[in-house]
Amino acid sequence: MLKDKPRRVFPDSLGSFVTGFDEIGASELESGEELEPIQPGTLGFYRESDGGEKAINDEEGQNIRQRRQNKDSSVAPVSVLKSISVDEKRSDLEFELSRREINLEKLQRIATTGIPDGGGLRATLWKLLLGYLPPSHDLWEKQLKENRQKYAKIKEELLLNPSEHIWKEYEELRSTKQHEDNDDDGPLKRHGISHEDHPLSLGKASLWGQYFQHTEIVEQIDRDLQRTHPDMPFFSGQSSFSRKNREAMKNILLLFAKLNPAICYVQGMNEVLAPIFYVFSTDVDKQNAANAEADSFSCFVLILGDSVDHFCQHLDNSSSGILATLSRLSDLLKVNDEQLWHHLEFTTKVKPQFYAFRWITLLLTQEFKFHSIFRIWDTLLSNTFGVQDMLLRICCAMLLCVKSRLLNGDFMANLMLLQHYPDDINIEYLLQVAQDISPDTSCYFLSL
Amino acid sequence: MVLVLALGDLHIPHRAPDLPAKFKSMLVPGKIQHIICTGNLCVKEIHDYLKTLCPDLHITRGEYDEETRYPETKTLTIGQFKLGLCHGHQVIPWGDLDSLAMLQRQLDVDILVTGHTHQFTAYKHEGGVVINPGSATGAYSSITYDVNPSFVLMDIDGLRVVVYVYELIDGEVKVDKIDFKKTSTSHSAH
Repeated sequence: MLKDKPRRVFPDSLGSFVTGFDEIGASELESGEELEPIQPGTLGFYRESDGGEKAINDEEGQNIRQRRQNKDSSVAPVSVLKSISVDEKRSDLEFELSRREINLEKLQRIATTGIPDGGGLRATLWKLLLGYLPPSHDLWEKQLKENRQKYAKIKEELLLNPSEHIWKEYEELRSTKQHEDNDDDGPLKRHGISHEDHPLSLGKASLWGQYFQHTEIVEQIDRDLQRTHPDMPFFSGQSSFSRKNREAMKNILLLFAKLNPAICYVQGMNEVLAPIFYVFSTDVDKQNAANAEADSFSCFVLILGDSVDHFCQHLDNSSSGILATLSRLSDLLKVNDEQLWHHLEFTTKVKPQFYAFRWITLLLTQEFKFHSIFRIWDTLLSNTFGVQDMLLRICCAMLLCVKSRLLNGDFMANLMLLQHYPDDINIEYLLQVAQDISPDTSCYFLSL
Repeated sequence: MVLVLALGDLHIPHRAPDLPAKFKSMLVPGKIQHIICTGNLCVKEIHDYLKTLCPDLHITRGEYDEETRYPETKTLTIGQFKLGLCHGHQVIPWGDLDSLAMLQRQLDVDILVTGHTHQFTAYKHEGGVVINPGSATGAYSSITYDVNPSFVLMDIDGLRVVVYVYELIDGEVKVDKIDFKKTSTSHSAH
């Protein structure tokens, strides 16, 4: 039994459906993934030795997965073969990045298997995958400079408090000598005020009115930032380093809130920003690290681009809102594992709204450890069909990976399990399952 | 950017029942960092009301105040400015610039805020600025019955001050502003 190739559960009827996927599965292996000899025990189960899906009966699949999970918790130390494969991947990536016209598809394929830590590879790759950097190497510098300048400009416009604004105008007027100075003794000169431009004004259009409206948001952002990753000195604590980081993140979130008044700031956006800002700030390249704030802002906007509607309450019931996405997740699960779907939806009545809301809106940042998020986001960002597609697949894979526990649980147990997703699930295995999942057919049809 | 509210001579309940409604609607808690009050509130209820607007409240005693323990004068430092506070009935002749300048030198402040005359004034005099926020309720004074309700809001930002003057004229709130800077070398307002 040990020598059996690992198989996954797929309904028979769909076996033919996914033939198109065979090719992609195979090519993923070619790009640097090591085919390790299957050793009795652990390592062999990580890699799929064939990309094809086979339909097997439930029980066997359950047994295999349970055994796999048991072994996952006692992982063998990294073998020499594995570290060689990481180095190979790194040199592959560096080669790809050094070319003048970057082949995004190839990068996507390699990145899906995980970007090696260190060397600032992840920062550059994420910027490329999100579309922040253009694929043509020569345009990088120009693009970066333009974007950073734009950011500095918006910051100046939107983040100045009204006093500073007024004094800026005063200085400008003074230089053109239109303004008389209160130099001499005697009654001080009074000037009329342009409509509503005083601190107590209740008008929404005035500078002051807007400033005070935003103090509430600023307070909330501050509070959330204090609670971000309290175990990491990068984010939390009173050191000037962490304070600077929190200040930068506050600027980014506040700017986003001001530029998107419909969504404003929603609790949790700080968690989505955290990995991006961390990766960019720890870039080896000094200039990139210094401009992490500007780059993170743009990439934060890009990554939330598709899912911005999830945060907007009025759009909840629309076709782009969160409820629609949750029902797509449900459908995806139904298509891939009807038994589990039925058990969750009807037997235990655990609807996706109860657990997957946070998974989807926060892009899984709250479900896994911080460093696992990097690995998961590598796959998320390098999906050819976009972040949301892969996100739903990973959510579905998360459900499949704890299938046996779910099938044995009732409403309370399942809810507890899914709201505190267990951390003994192997991430590589999870992502592999996600990649092999049959696609969400309601969105698009594979050209077969 | 520190917002300081300066007001006084309300004479509630003896000469006026309450602040004008339009003033009251503008004064909401959370915006103002300090309140300096020249005196003549006169009752504790007004003290409590001002405390709800801002916890940092400074009051000097006016001749009709029922609370006897307010000080005669007070000084405080906000930003780069030293502010002095006094009701003004002690300074004779009332409202006289030279006499007020004496008080200013005595307290050693950049901006002196006094009341009692129930008329808004703002003067630069002999190296200092004297501001009188007037009466916030428009109560009649010992000198005149013709009083417009007024108060003052100062926006102190380092070495610069913008003074917003709020006056209720014919039922409408009129806002003016005065700005001045302090030269860092001397005590005088530039």
